Amino acid sequence: MKASLTTSLALHAAVLAFGLVSLSAPAAFEVSEVESLPVDIVPLEELTQIQQGDKKAPMNEKPAPTPTQRPDIVADAREVGENSVDTDKPITPDPKPTPVDNAAAPPPAPKPAEKPAPQETPKEEPKPEPVKPPEPKPAPKPEPVKEPQPVQKPADQKPAEAKPEPAKPDAVAEAIAAEDKPAEQSSLPDRAPAPQARPKPAETQTAKAADSKPAQKTPASSSAQQKSDDKDFNADEIAALLDKRKPSGGGAKRSTEQASLGGRKTTGGNRLSQNEMDALRQKLGGCWSIPAGVDDAAMLKVSVRFRLDRSGVLEGRPEVISGGASSGPGRTAAESAVRAVQKCAPFNLPADKYDSWSEVVVNFDPSDMF
Amino acid sequence: MENIALAEPAANLSIWALFMQANWVVKLVMIGLLGASVWTWAIIFDKVVSYGRMRSALNRFEQIFWSGQSLEELYRTLSDRKTTGMGSIFVAAMREWKKSFEKGAKSPHGLQMRIDKAMDLALTREMERLEGNLGFLATIGSAAPFIGLFGTVIGIMTSFQAIAGSKSTSLAVVAPGIAEALLATAIGLLAAIPAVIAYNKLSSDAGKLAGRMEGFADEFSAILSRQIDEKVARS
Repeated sequence: MKASLTTSLALHAAVLAFGLVSLSAPAAFEVSEVESLPVDIVPLEELTQIQQGDKKAPMNEKPAPTPTQRPDIVADAREVGENSVDTDKPITPDPKPTPVDNAAAPPPAPKPAEKPAPQETPKEEPKPEPVKPPEPKPAPKPEPVKEPQPVQKPADQKPAEAKPEPAKPDAVAEAIAAEDKPAEQSSLPDRAPAPQARPKPAETQTAKAADSKPAQKTPASSSAQQKSDDKDFNADEIAALLDKRKPSGGGAKRSTEQASLGGRKTTGGNRLSQNEMDALRQKLGGCWSIPAGVDDAAMLKVSVRFRLDRSGVLEGRPEVISGGASSGPGRTAAESAVRAVQKCAPFNLPADKYDSWSEVVVNFDPSDMF
Repeated sequence: MENIALAEPAANLSIWALFMQANWVVKLVMIGLLGASVWTWAIIFDKVVSYGRMRSALNRFEQIFWSGQSLEELYRTLSDRKTTGMGSIFVAAMREWKKSFEKGAKSPHGLQMRIDKAMDLALTREMERLEGNLGFLATIGSAAPFIGLFGTVIGIMTSFQAIAGSKSTSLAVVAPGIAEALLATAIGLLAAIPAVIAYNKLSSDAGKLAGRMEGFADEFSAILSRQIDEKVARS
């Protein structure tokens, strides 16, 4: 036994020694250094949410639009630009040719264009002023001749406003003009958006056009009109042509940060949020009277498609696109679904997401209701 | 940074390093299993050698026994020698025979019974010697894996506790502890597998030898019984 024990011990010692030498450390796996790829899960909403910035600027952590030079800060301004008033008019590159166009542009709507111009130009730019002096001139002339208006003159510093008045014999136009003026006064100082100024002249213009077109034309304006007729006139640019402000355009929001990648405006995504969707669903559910006493529930599932305009009002009749039937309970279900949509009709949905709810498909399923 | 992290465990993963890193319970288990392995192999060597010797002794004895040599003479040569296997059975039977005849026993039945008893005793003693340590092999064969597993479980337990303490779940942190714990199972299996195989082989060998000896005992008993009958008939 002793011999075998020693043999065994020797053998184990040998095996262990061999193991320590040969089985030392297994070779480590070869790990090739692969650069890890960061993966982000980006919901679609995030892509549609655009921060205001510059489309060509590199990505930056802090969203900022292209920097502006003017330091004065305009309250509540949204559009970035060097303007003193905030407008969403696109920026037109060169201001030089525009003074010349100013004279040419008005003709399509000659008088209204002239009116707002003197109001705004003094604030914005000094250049057009020298061009304009001839315009106010004809205005005071008719005044003393026809109608002495002591009330309006002291109130307005605009001589242009007075100009059409002598031409108007009717009291309605005068009343309208009188109403407009105080509104202008209040609205002008902080903002002078294009749409605000435009409707006013349009109203007065109709009156003028009806009554006093042939009589009223001053030599200066008629010559300008002829010139413009000769020039190329693009109907698509009417809005831009009507705007008499400095054509450089742009808003009044100032920016001093480095420009970062972004859109022209900050948009809040295009899709309805879950809450808004739930609200719509709930509203429709409240308007829907489920057809009762029907055993074939499959037929009661109705999909209705309808269109809405920007104010949320139904456009046309809702259309059943699936489900329902031409007769029996299926028809009842389809009609009840259509009726529900019509009953709920003005939908209060976020206007900035109109693209996503201009056309809505709603599934009416009675099994969801119980 | 990454290179260092990979190289470090690799350097510490040799078997000796694994053993040295282990928990003391695991170390104890490993040492015990190593000892069991050493003892197992000692038994295996011992048994293989002794069975071989026994086999050749049986062959030699059978040759002498059936060579026609007188039983008295054979007994005289074997009685003062240390005998194994069939030899010891033969000697035990002859001794009983001699004692009975020297004292002039009358009953042949009693004599026969006593001789058989003596031979049985001698046979049992031989078998005991043959199968002496086989039980240990069986025990190691069945228990060593469990002992190793115990060491592994303890090792993994402690390494998990350590991982929880280090607050890192990186595989590089988890791996050494588990490898070290698994070493215990490996050693357990290393001891158990030869033990099981050797146990099966040796016990079947022992059974064969025992069969041969029993056969001889029966045969010799038959011879002696014939002799007793002849003697009774003569007297």
